[in-house]
Amino acid sequence: MSEIEIGGATAANAVPADGVEPLAHYVSSRPFDPYASERLTSAQERFYSASQWRMMWWKLRRHRIAVLSGAVLLAMYVSILFCEFLAPYAADTRNGDFIYAPPQAVHILFDGRLVWPYVDGYDYRLDLNTLKRIYTPDPNKREPIRFFCRGDSYRFWDLIRGDLHLFCPARGGQLFLLGTDRLGRDMLSRIIYGARISLTVGLLGVVVSFTLAVLIGGIAGYYGGWTDILIQRVIEVVQSFPHLPLWMALSAILPVSWSPLLVYFGITLILGLIEWTHLARAVRSKLLALREEDFCTAAVLMGARPARIIGRHLLPSFMSHLIASATLMIPSMILGETALSFLGLGLRPPMTSWGVLLNEAQNINVVALYPWLMLPVIPVIVTILAFNFLGDGLRDAADPYH
Amino acid sequence: MPKPFPDEPPEPTTKGSRLSRRTVLMSPGLALLLRPIFAGAAKAKLAETAYFTAEVANGRLPAIGARVPLEPAIVRSGSVGRQGGTLHLLMGSTHDTRQMVVYGYARLIAYTPSLKLVPDILAAADVKDGRMFTLTLRKGMKWSDGHPFTAEDFRYWFEEMAENPQLSPDGPPIELLSQGEAPRFEVLNDVTVRYSWTRPNPLFLPSLAGPDPLYIYAPAHYLKQFNPKYADKVRLAALVKQYHERNWAALHSRMSGMYRNNNPDMPSLEPWILKTPLPASRIIFERNPYYYRVDKTGQQLPYIDRVVLTIADSRIIPAKTGAGESQLQARYLSFDDYTFLKRGERRNGYKVRLWRTGPGSQWALYPNLNTNDPVWRGLMRDVRFRRALSLAIDRHEINEALYFGLGIEGQNTLLPKSPLYRPEYRTAWAGYDPQEANRLLDLIGLKRGGGGIRQLPDGRPAEIIVEDNGESGEQSDLLELIRDSWRHIGIPLFEKPSQLTLFRRRIFSGEAIMSLDKGIENGLATAEMPPWELAPTTQQQYEWPKWGQYFETKGKAGEPPDLPSAIRLRDLYRQWLAAAGHDEQARIWQAMLKIWADEVYSIGTVAGIPQPVVVDDRLRNVPEEGIYNWDPGAYFGIYKPDRFWFVSGAAPAKSAATGGQR
Amino acid sequence: MGRYIVHRLLVMIPTLIAISIVVFTIINLPPGNFFSTYIAELQATGQKADLVRIHFLEQQYGFDRPLWQQYLYWVGGLLHGDLGYSFLYNEPVSQVVGDRLLLTLIVSFATILFTYLVAFPIGIYSATHQYSWSDHTLTLLGFLGLATPNFLLALVLLYFANVYFGISIGGLMDPNYVNRPWSWAKTVSVLAHLWIPVIVIGLGGTAAMIRRLRANLLDELHKQYVVTARAKGVAPVKLLFKYPLRMALNPFIADIGSLLPHVISGAVIVSVVMSLPTTGPMLLEALRSQDMYLAGSFLMFLAFMTVIGVLISDLALAALDPRIRLQAGRRP
Repeated sequence: MSEIEIGGATAANAVPADGVEPLAHYVSSRPFDPYASERLTSAQERFYSASQWRMMWWKLRRHRIAVLSGAVLLAMYVSILFCEFLAPYAADTRNGDFIYAPPQAVHILFDGRLVWPYVDGYDYRLDLNTLKRIYTPDPNKREPIRFFCRGDSYRFWDLIRGDLHLFCPARGGQLFLLGTDRLGRDMLSRIIYGARISLTVGLLGVVVSFTLAVLIGGIAGYYGGWTDILIQRVIEVVQSFPHLPLWMALSAILPVSWSPLLVYFGITLILGLIEWTHLARAVRSKLLALREEDFCTAAVLMGARPARIIGRHLLPSFMSHLIASATLMIPSMILGETALSFLGLGLRPPMTSWGVLLNEAQNINVVALYPWLMLPVIPVIVTILAFNFLGDGLRDAADPYH
Repeated sequence: MPKPFPDEPPEPTTKGSRLSRRTVLMSPGLALLLRPIFAGAAKAKLAETAYFTAEVANGRLPAIGARVPLEPAIVRSGSVGRQGGTLHLLMGSTHDTRQMVVYGYARLIAYTPSLKLVPDILAAADVKDGRMFTLTLRKGMKWSDGHPFTAEDFRYWFEEMAENPQLSPDGPPIELLSQGEAPRFEVLNDVTVRYSWTRPNPLFLPSLAGPDPLYIYAPAHYLKQFNPKYADKVRLAALVKQYHERNWAALHSRMSGMYRNNNPDMPSLEPWILKTPLPASRIIFERNPYYYRVDKTGQQLPYIDRVVLTIADSRIIPAKTGAGESQLQARYLSFDDYTFLKRGERRNGYKVRLWRTGPGSQWALYPNLNTNDPVWRGLMRDVRFRRALSLAIDRHEINEALYFGLGIEGQNTLLPKSPLYRPEYRTAWAGYDPQEANRLLDLIGLKRGGGGIRQLPDGRPAEIIVEDNGESGEQSDLLELIRDSWRHIGIPLFEKPSQLTLFRRRIFSGEAIMSLDKGIENGLATAEMPPWELAPTTQQQYEWPKWGQYFETKGKAGEPPDLPSAIRLRDLYRQWLAAAGHDEQARIWQAMLKIWADEVYSIGTVAGIPQPVVVDDRLRNVPEEGIYNWDPGAYFGIYKPDRFWFVSGAAPAKSAATGGQR
Repeated sequence: MGRYIVHRLLVMIPTLIAISIVVFTIINLPPGNFFSTYIAELQATGQKADLVRIHFLEQQYGFDRPLWQQYLYWVGGLLHGDLGYSFLYNEPVSQVVGDRLLLTLIVSFATILFTYLVAFPIGIYSATHQYSWSDHTLTLLGFLGLATPNFLLALVLLYFANVYFGISIGGLMDPNYVNRPWSWAKTVSVLAHLWIPVIVIGLGGTAAMIRRLRANLLDELHKQYVVTARAKGVAPVKLLFKYPLRMALNPFIADIGSLLPHVISGAVIVSVVMSLPTTGPMLLEALRSQDMYLAGSFLMFLAFMTVIGVLISDLALAALDPRIRLQAGRRP
């Protein structure tokens, strides 16, 4: 064994001759593990063995706006479960004395001191010249807001009777944080109840679209050849249509005798039927690429059936992309429902959705005289923005190995 | 003696017995001579129409004396105006050119604002026994292209159009038939025609005065070119081909739509003539040089030279009106728009007036007595059920919430302005009495089940699905209010809006059990107007479509009425058709109204809703208060827009002239 | 390349046939037809329906014949260039559409121009200044445009434009210019009315464009050749424009095919709200009243344009991007 000279050899670290006492040294008494350098700390282990989903989540976390959007959406969807509790009034409570009342401001200061939140009660007068209802807040009529109070009774999810509300008006008073509409119904409560329909329509429609897209795109992508060409033509046919006329025509065939709930499902079905094409094309192109991969060939050779191959091997590898795309489809569903209701083709009263509320707001009287009726546009915008940001974040995070 | 119209002097007696309509009709069998209210007296000297001075000067038009009839109709009511100006109106589609026929209201017989029938285009109308009508035209009256308006136009219509199976495969119009019998038509001379039946035809005169009138004349000289009997066959064939029509009959029917008013080449008698070829989004009408009415200083009417219709989406018309783009607007405006329109008054130079609407109820519920479901049919036919539903509606709340309390609550029946009105008709079964309603429902045997909801005899919940045509948010709001009040009697209500055709189909076929629609059209009826709305006479009546169809088709389709009260109404209607005098007609009306009030075949809510009418500040002779109604009324028709005039300058509408800035 | 074109053209035919069947079915799905709707409407307002004329029309156009015969009649007409007759407007379809097509095209192209003009600089800026505050703000604004229901925005803008600028409500120009020939004043009036619909309709498309441009550009900017070029000292602007931007332009061209019918359909809702004399409200009205020829023929026209548009954009892409050309015929 040749000697390797490293720097200058001094007496202190010169290699001792044979038989002499060894240099001062330290030998660890721990058992020797030849694979020590390859072993990972628990943190490292978690990192390297993380599943695809966990890595996606880590990457997503860095996109702060997407996370914020996700939180907002989660809050909104959870609030759907407790509509009855959150809304100060029941769904169809109306107050004939307070028609077209403007929003009331909440005050927490009185004479410079911090007080229990309250609203100023309204004085009402009818201007006979213009036939306008004039509401003036009266500082002497202070109506404190009650929290966790018993207010309008409701049927929780149509099953359980209850009357507990998060906050409600003072006894004998009013609490119209966003004003009232034509029949004296509280706008805030209507918007909260409307969320239930609007937010779920998008979800259900996306489920329909998603299923269709995966099915059709999967078949086209996997089998290729004539099936592929045929399906591509079908996709082209569906895509060549401006969506609106299709929606209109399809809405017109919904039977009149259907209950509002069935109509609602019919609308989601219609919305979903039109939107699946983009996703199907994405599925198809991905499948076409992936089916040449080795793992797929292996599965084929092992005798797996096409359904199993598609479902268990191919799809999961780009499921993240699909989810991102699906998330981005929801806003157009929500806008679609809004547009349909606006045209009078979608949902109608007594079903409350944001689209229905906006339909009631689309005339010049509202714009000029009662603009608070247009407030449902804000949750629509917030939801769509949130879904878009979340979808963007998901898409960025979708390929964590990238 | 006749009660004079407030503005006019009583007309002087003329040759022939001028008796008041009242006295005459009280004694059947006497001849009645109807003369226009404004006839006779000294004729003022005619003044040439300023708009046409150029054409008269270079000979394209004859002078004024040769353009108006020898005895023109003289207007004496309202202020004397000045000629000139352009009137801007907003309409919702090109079909609305027919509104110019409605507003123009040039009719053989017309309604006055007090709803009396007087000759208008006609010089005189002689009615004998209610079955023989001798109509006298004005000598020298001409169509808008200068061709004389004579009895030939009536003959052509009757013999070549109404009796021609190719042009009228279903026979002459129904208003011309007196219990199925067609009239005998005679031309007595150049300006006189006569229609006679063996039995009275009380529908004849009112239908001549309708907004969408029965036309018994047509411009023969114009239409003959489309008729193979008169036209050159080769030329006609070329015309048929040019207009892509299947045959001459199709072409003829297309060119002869006097009400449709979409053919600029067709001569007309209306005050304003269509000039713009359709379709267009800005349609111009110009004054008729041969118009038959003049004012008492001799100026030829109309005062206004041109009318411009701007077509816009009907939903945006309130906004446009509020921005000053219309000078006379009521169409497409509803009471909801009042406050917004008021705000624009000062900035845009108009005032918003409130007229009254004419239907017996703004909205009424129609239980379908011919519904298919046997249980519901039984209930709907039970008068106690209908009365209970009616008593359980809080009309006062509806009035306050939707109409600021300005409407007239009550049943779906005549309005106080009608001479046949009696208060008990409106108030019958129309108070708010949920207790009594509950009592009636208990009597019928509808027990309350779970949640306080009543059950049908076969156990189903008594849920009423009210169908409507979904075209107005007001319907939903109204049903919302009714739903709340019906909760107190244990009857749940569901609204089911659907597209118009489907909505009507479901009613006609009996699938719908109840519907919501406008109340009776004519809430201002007089005894001379047919009470067809109170009896099962047509399929269009949503409370008994099949009985109505039976009557309409003379038994070929539908079902005969089998409720004694409905049968009685039908018989009373038949009696009215055969009635000879005013008193008998009024008596029949009262009998029908009483049954109608007792039986509550339709459940009315609130009537007499104010209708905003936007009038430019410079427009005169538009009444401060009036009725805005289709029939009778012709919207603005009975107030004769040809008398409306602009003061000073007659500048066009603000937006057009000044680009929107004021 | 030639084979590619021929192949695509041949494939177009069954597509169009399928589309025509679907269109026909959809329009005839709701119960009734134009005439029953028309009669119902007239009767509902107490007017007498001109039954004679209606019967003539029904017979003339074969509405009393079975559906499949009506379909063949219609398709036969289409092949001859006869788009049929609109009963709603009482004149041939080609005339109804033609009148409105000019204004629709003006609005459409103005909108597309607006979209490109706005999306381009914003997209580039966003991509090059990724994750900066301005990037986030601009993206947010872009999304806002996407998220707002445009019909509501239209109504609000209309009202305020009238109150503050005196612009007449609805329509594309002041009413008194409508039938007059084109003049400077008329053009100015059109422009004054045009900005509202262009902004309202274009807002949604702008956001999508921005996002796509940004994403594509980002992808390109991270590629090897860009890094190399930067390392070799190429100036930033030249670096940006010479290669990455060209690649990022892909979607702009590829999207023309789908953009055209979308825009031509006139952003129907907005046109309806603003009462624009474009093809959007016409289509809505035709569908509502089941005016078979007008709705069907116009939809076919739109579909035809889409198919042609897709073909053109595919061809343009193929011309632009050699990779596509060379792969033509193989699995893409």
